[in-house]
Amino acid sequence: MTETAVRAGAAVALGGLRKRFGEVRAVDGIDLVISPGEVVALLGPNGAGKSTTVDMMLGLSTPDAGTISVFGKPPREAVVAGQISAMLQSGALLEDATVAEAVGLIAALHRKPMPVARALEQAGIADLASRKCTKLSGGQRQRVRFALALVCEPDLLVLDEPTVAMDVETRRTFWQQMRAYTDTGRTVLFATHYLEEAEEYADRVVLMRSGRIVADGSVAQVRAAVSGRTLRAVVPGAADLDLPGVRAAERRGDQFTLTCTDSDAAVRALLAQHPNAHDIEITALGLEDAFLALTGEDD
Amino acid sequence: MNTRFLALELRRAVRNGRYLIFTVVVPSVMYLLFVSLYGGGGTFPNGLPVTTSLMMNMALFGVMAGPLSVGARIAVERAIGWQRQLQLTPLTGSGYLFTKGTLGMLVGLPAVVLVCVLGAVKGVQMDALHWVGVLVTLWLGAIPFVLMGIVIGLVASPDGMQAITGLASMLLGLLGGIWIPADVAPDWLATLMKVLPVYWIKELAQAPFVSGVDVKQALLVIGLWVAGLSLIAVRRYRAQS
Repeated sequence: MTETAVRAGAAVALGGLRKRFGEVRAVDGIDLVISPGEVVALLGPNGAGKSTTVDMMLGLSTPDAGTISVFGKPPREAVVAGQISAMLQSGALLEDATVAEAVGLIAALHRKPMPVARALEQAGIADLASRKCTKLSGGQRQRVRFALALVCEPDLLVLDEPTVAMDVETRRTFWQQMRAYTDTGRTVLFATHYLEEAEEYADRVVLMRSGRIVADGSVAQVRAAVSGRTLRAVVPGAADLDLPGVRAAERRGDQFTLTCTDSDAAVRALLAQHPNAHDIEITALGLEDAFLALTGEDD
Repeated sequence: MNTRFLALELRRAVRNGRYLIFTVVVPSVMYLLFVSLYGGGGTFPNGLPVTTSLMMNMALFGVMAGPLSVGARIAVERAIGWQRQLQLTPLTGSGYLFTKGTLGMLVGLPAVVLVCVLGAVKGVQMDALHWVGVLVTLWLGAIPFVLMGIVIGLVASPDGMQAITGLASMLLGLLGGIWIPADVAPDWLATLMKVLPVYWIKELAQAPFVSGVDVKQALLVIGLWVAGLSLIAVRRYRAQS
């Protein structure tokens, strides 16, 4: 498929997107295409431009330059058509309404909403329907926001830090419900600080830093882009190792730690040159290491 | 206009305890109280019976308090981020303001009807056409206050909002001639009163019963208020979104 064809059929296509606030370049030239059905994690430290990007995708703010299309439409049209919806990070719920009333108000505004009861059920809060919005825990409130986002049955769901304020158990249940939703072919873009969530639930990770995308790919690719793998081995009697696919080597006595770009080639050469090498261990770096390496400040 | 959304908003507004007290109970109780203070009969110097004049004043008071509070709720919805949630629906900005405006008109209605019913009970007499005229005039008198509430909602913070609406309805009541008739006010105060919309709504309501009401000027002053407040509301809303 050509680049244009991919863009035309995309759930989201951002081209040269820029937004500045005064002197700060919050978003500084972003190109991103998300295909229907993808579950994409948007990772980055605070101030990376994630929320600004999300706001522009939702039509809540306008870019200074660049193009945005959501299912081939301008964002506002996609919102009106109920194709894109979002679980916003901040924002309280109406204090004088019950959970069912709040979801009902939003449902009433959409053109083809699902029944309120079903939205509550899918968000796992059917039992909270008649609870006042003021009497909810942080995690329950997040799930009400999830129901608010779900009720228009969007094809693309955007989640801004969805599991903040949830305990471990609630978080797991939340992602199970999300899985049930994405299994029906929906597209999801979520911003998160929890790296393990990106690792576990995203098909694809987009790393942002200072308003730019610094890495984009599958979890494995993003990891490899930074670090490849680490090969550890005890090689008795070797003064130095000269192996292919190794970027950096460190030696402590007989113990070598090799940072590899191609650990397969390195381990083959190692065993050919030093058949006595033992305690060989190859590990992939966690996404956290990749994340820190890519988003950390330049030294 | 999304009627289902409006109905849900109306239920939320009407259920509020403050609403019930300030816009339904207070005007009715004040009416009964004032009528008994005046001894239940007699006429004011302009020839309007006390029961009729006070009925109009208290209905106007109800028509001010309810709509002001509805509009002011915009301040809360704006501050807590509910408006952002609404922006993720097909509801447009003008649709939002129009819904709040309609809501304000609807919550002003019970006070007018209730006070007029009490007026009839207390012996206010007029023919059916005049009753309709008075009811409609008093109710439409809510328009500037609905707009005022929306402007306050778009300008004030939620904390400041309560103080501002409280102050606004008190000042409007005092200066509009609800608590003090313009006839007995000193000249400077009477001039100030005639700048505010309340005074002229009362003038319009009593026009069929007393002589010398300048209907043209009444419509002009009220029209200027409505136009001015609408302009501010639209500009404020545009600046925020």
